[in-house]
Amino acid sequence: MQRTTKARTLAVEVERLTKIYPGGVDAVKDVSFAVAAGEVFGLLGPNGAGKSTTVGMLTTTIRPTTGSARLLGHDVVADPLGARQVSAVVFQEAALDRSLTGRRNLEIHGRLWGLSPPETATMIDDVVEAFGLADIVGRTVDTFSGGQRRRLELARALVSRPRVLFLDEPTVGLDPRIRFELLDLIGGLRQRAETTVVLTTHYLDEAERLCDRVAIVHEGRIVALDTPDNLLAGLGRHLVELRVDDVASSLAVLRQRGLAGEDAFAVGGTLTVPVHDRSAREAISAIARLDIATGGISARPPTLDDVYLRLTGDRLAA
Amino acid sequence: MTAITTAPPAPIVVPRRRRASLAAPLATLTRRRLALSARTPRELVVPLLTPILFSVVIAPALAKVTGAVRGIDYTSFVAIGTVGLLVPINCMFAGIGVIVDRESGARRDLLAAPVPRSLVVFGNLAVALAVSALQVVALVAAAVLRGAHFEARASGVALFALAAALLAVTMYGGAETLANRIAKQEEYVGAVPAIAIVPWFFAGSLFPITALPGWLAAFAKVLPLTHALAVMRYGLLDGRATGLHDIWGLTNATVMATLSLAVVAAYAALLLALAVRVFTRAAVR
Repeated sequence: MQRTTKARTLAVEVERLTKIYPGGVDAVKDVSFAVAAGEVFGLLGPNGAGKSTTVGMLTTTIRPTTGSARLLGHDVVADPLGARQVSAVVFQEAALDRSLTGRRNLEIHGRLWGLSPPETATMIDDVVEAFGLADIVGRTVDTFSGGQRRRLELARALVSRPRVLFLDEPTVGLDPRIRFELLDLIGGLRQRAETTVVLTTHYLDEAERLCDRVAIVHEGRIVALDTPDNLLAGLGRHLVELRVDDVASSLAVLRQRGLAGEDAFAVGGTLTVPVHDRSAREAISAIARLDIATGGISARPPTLDDVYLRLTGDRLAA
Repeated sequence: MTAITTAPPAPIVVPRRRRASLAAPLATLTRRRLALSARTPRELVVPLLTPILFSVVIAPALAKVTGAVRGIDYTSFVAIGTVGLLVPINCMFAGIGVIVDRESGARRDLLAAPVPRSLVVFGNLAVALAVSALQVVALVAAAVLRGAHFEARASGVALFALAAALLAVTMYGGAETLANRIAKQEEYVGAVPAIAIVPWFFAGSLFPITALPGWLAAFAKVLPLTHALAVMRYGLLDGRATGLHDIWGLTNATVMATLSLAVVAAYAALLLALAVRVFTRAAVR
C-alpha cells in the first residue's frame, strides 16, 4: 500500500543503485535519490563522475549491478518496457538519422512510443512550433546546425509526451548563445503537463538555473543533495579567497582568530573562507591585518562549484 | 543566425498510448530502414554489379568454351550461381547500415523505445529480404535477356524463392551479428569478401562441387550456400537434381530438396537467433 502511494507521488525512485563494469570499474556506488513528479532534478558533476551511467541505468541501456530503480512505479530491470513507455531521453551525443528529414525522425519516435499517425502529426506540429523548427523540419538532418540538431532532439523527446524526461548533458558542445537559448527552452519544459526532468550536467549555471534540487556526484557517489539555495547557503553569504605560502599554518591562524570555520578549504595555494557572520569588507580587512596573504584578497558570492570543491577537493569545470 | 522561439510552449493534451501488437512498431522500424536504404542508392546498386557482370558477360563467354554442364546451358547454370553471390553481398552491405546506426544514427533512441529491441533486427531483416528479392529479380531478368533459359513452373519458382529467402535470412543474420561485434566500419568492410565471396567459389556456383578435391567438396557440403544453390537450380533449371545428388547421393529429388532446405533453414534460424541475441546484449552494457 505504501509503495502504491509512493508511486503516485514519485516519478523516479532510485535505491542503492550500483554499477560495476566488467574489469572492475565501479562507475556508480550505492546511489539513492527520489524525484517528485513535476520536479527538475539535476545530477551535477564532472565528466566521469557516473552521471551518464546513472541515466543509462534509468533508461535501461545499462544493467545495474545491484540496487533498484523505478520510473512511475515501473522497475527498470523487471519492467523495462513500462519504464521506457513513460520516459524519453536526450542523449549526450546526437542520436538522429541524419539522412532523413527532421520530421521523419520525429514521426519514427512518435510511432515507436505508441502514438497513432494522427496523434503523432499533432504532437509534431506542436513541438515543431514550440522549438522554432517549422522552417527546417522538412530538411534532412545533415543540413542542420549543431544547435538545430539539439533542438530537434529535444523536440523529438517531447513528441511522445514523456512523464519523465532525461537530459544527458544537453548543451555540451554548443556555442554560448545557442546554449543560453536552449536552456530557456529547457526551462519552459516544467510548464508542459508536469514533465519530470532529470538533467545531468557539469555546468553550474545550468544546475542553478534549471533545477529544483541538485545531487552533486563525485566518483560515483552522491556527496550532497539539496536545493541549489540550500547548498549555497551552507557556504555563507560570501567567500573570501586569498593566496598563501603555507596553507596549513595560515588556516590554523585564521581559525585561531575566529576568522575561518571548519568549512574553510584550500585548493593548491588558495584558501577559501566562507563568511557567515560579517560583511565581506569586514572579513577582508580582518584577514588582511594578519599579513598572511601573498597575493590579493578578494570576496565573491559562493557558487555550486565551491560547494563541489568544498566536498571533494576538485573543481567541476576542469 | 538561428532564431529560437523561447516563449513557454502551450499545454498539450496528453495522447492516449496504445500498444495492441508488435506489428505497428515493426512496420515503423522497417519503413525507417527502407527510407535510410533509399537515401543510399549505392547500397542497392553496388551489390548487383559483380553478379550481373558474371551473369551477362563472363558466363556467356565461358559458355562458348565449356559448353554445357551436365546438359545444362552454362549461362543459365552460372546465372543461378550468381544469386549465391548477390544475396550474401547485399546482406553484408546491409550490415554496414547497422554500424552507421550505432556510430552516427538514431540507434540509441530506438533502444530507449518501449518496444522489444529484437524488432530493430527484424525491421532491418525485412528490408534486406525485400532488397534481395528485387535484386534477384533484376539479376534473373538480365540473365534471361542475355540468353539464359529457366523452367518457370510454380512449384519450382516457389522452391527457388524459398531457398533464396532462407539464404538471405542466413546471410543477414551473420551480417547483423558481425556488425554488432566489430567495432569499426573499416574492419567490417574488410571482412565482407571472406564471408560473402570466398564461400561462393566452393559452393557449386561456377562448377559442380564434384569437381573439387574430396576434402574441399566435403567442406562445400557444410556450407548453407551450397544447399541453397542446389535447391534453386533444382527449382528453375536442374529437374534431375544433379546438384542435390552431389550433396546427398540419394535418388529422390523431393527428399533431397527438403533436406537441403532444412539445412539452410537451420542455418537461418541459428544465425538470426544469434543476431538478435548479440544485438540485444550489445544494447545493454
